[in-house]
Amino acid sequence: AAARRPWRLFGAMCLLRLPRITQPLEKEEEEMAALMGQIELEKSHYSDHEIRKLEEEERLKRRKESLYDDDDEVTGKTVIMAQDLEDKWEQKFLRFKAAPRITDADKKNIRTSLNRKLDSNLMLLVKQKIGNQDLWLLPQVEWQPGETLRSTAERAMATFLGDHIQAKILGNAPYGIYKYKFPRAIRTEDNVGAKVFFFKAFLQSSDFTQTELKTDHLWVTKNELGDYLKPEYLKKVNRFLLD
Amino acid sequence: TLCFFSSCSSLLPHRGALRGSHWQSSVLTLRTSLPARAQPKKKKKVDVRREQAQKDRMKKKLKKLEKAAPELIPIEDFITPLKYSDSNRVRSLPALSPEETERRVLLLKKWCLFKQKQDEAEKKAIQSLVASQQEALKELRLESEELYQAAIRRDEGLFPFQRDGPTYTPPLPGYDPPEGKCVDITKVYTQ
Repeated sequence: AAARRPWRLFGAMCLLRLPRITQPLEKEEEEMAALMGQIELEKSHYSDHEIRKLEEEERLKRRKESLYDDDDEVTGKTVIMAQDLEDKWEQKFLRFKAAPRITDADKKNIRTSLNRKLDSNLMLLVKQKIGNQDLWLLPQVEWQPGETLRSTAERAMATFLGDHIQAKILGNAPYGIYKYKFPRAIRTEDNVGAKVFFFKAFLQSSDFTQTELKTDHLWVTKNELGDYLKPEYLKKVNRFLLD
Repeated sequence: TLCFFSSCSSLLPHRGALRGSHWQSSVLTLRTSLPARAQPKKKKKVDVRREQAQKDRMKKKLKKLEKAAPELIPIEDFITPLKYSDSNRVRSLPALSPEETERRVLLLKKWCLFKQKQDEAEKKAIQSLVASQQEALKELRLESEELYQAAIRRDEGLFPFQRDGPTYTPPLPGYDPPEGKCVDITKVYTQ
């Protein structure tokens, strides 16, 4: 067995809530989409519905100009025109009201709610006491001998969010590491510093009753992380976050 | 009664009276087998040979059919139905002006650049992620070999990984989608 290293190990969990709606298109993307639609229209042929519409317009025009009834027209039954169908469909579409993309939580900027910023990833941050400071961190607990680091991270998640969280942890390997040395005051031979290993997981239970415990928590996007995390820590965390 | 062996062999039409041998069990049985010495033997052989020739021909045909390649299943998407090649179907739109073509070409070039930048950014992000993971594993190895081995083990429960993609609007709570029936009319071909 190797000699005991002077580093303390921590396992931290970066819990991501994946986006629920699509991101808005960039300017180039919108222009390109319009162009593609136009090219497709130019290259296409008339569909059955369009041919029907054209024929009916022709017939209407002829009827107005000539003011005599063709033998076909005098049938007695009401013919449904293609234009009427289109109007009906349009009405039906306008009657449907979809859920708004920008939710209430967005407008009020409630950072503790999960309903915010539905088009980007949200990460969990908790306030923890390290040494004698209260810091905003990704939830972490110390590693106990006899368990793997992944189970440490799972324990960290469970301590702050309760047992009934369904999260898909992406693999056994850590995604990043942040190591720091303790301030000289508490540094000893055996206790030089700490290494925090980060794990990534996707949140799967979509709406869970926020049974958050006593600690404060936040759900923030990658851009907002800078408001809360220390610069060195932030640098290491940003390396393994894709956005 | 005396048994008429010799008269048995001649082709007497009515055998009712001719109860030749006691091993002809019933008077009314049909003559199922050809009479023993009446006709010459080549009729039997020719029949047999003809039948065998017929069987061989059938077998040859079967083999030929089997050897031929199985008919390919037509791909419905690649065959345009004939009703769509009518001339009245062609759209009549005004021709493109040179400014329009110019604008399109410039837009395509801008798009090319945009996509290239996007792709490069994605690749860089993935590289940084992999580098960060490698560094973490290196540090972990320095710490303890056993934890490192546990970390590089394959996670069996990860794949197959399934996830619903994002939609344009979030799900509406309490929405009741309208009822409908879906009739599947795809043609199924057997080879």
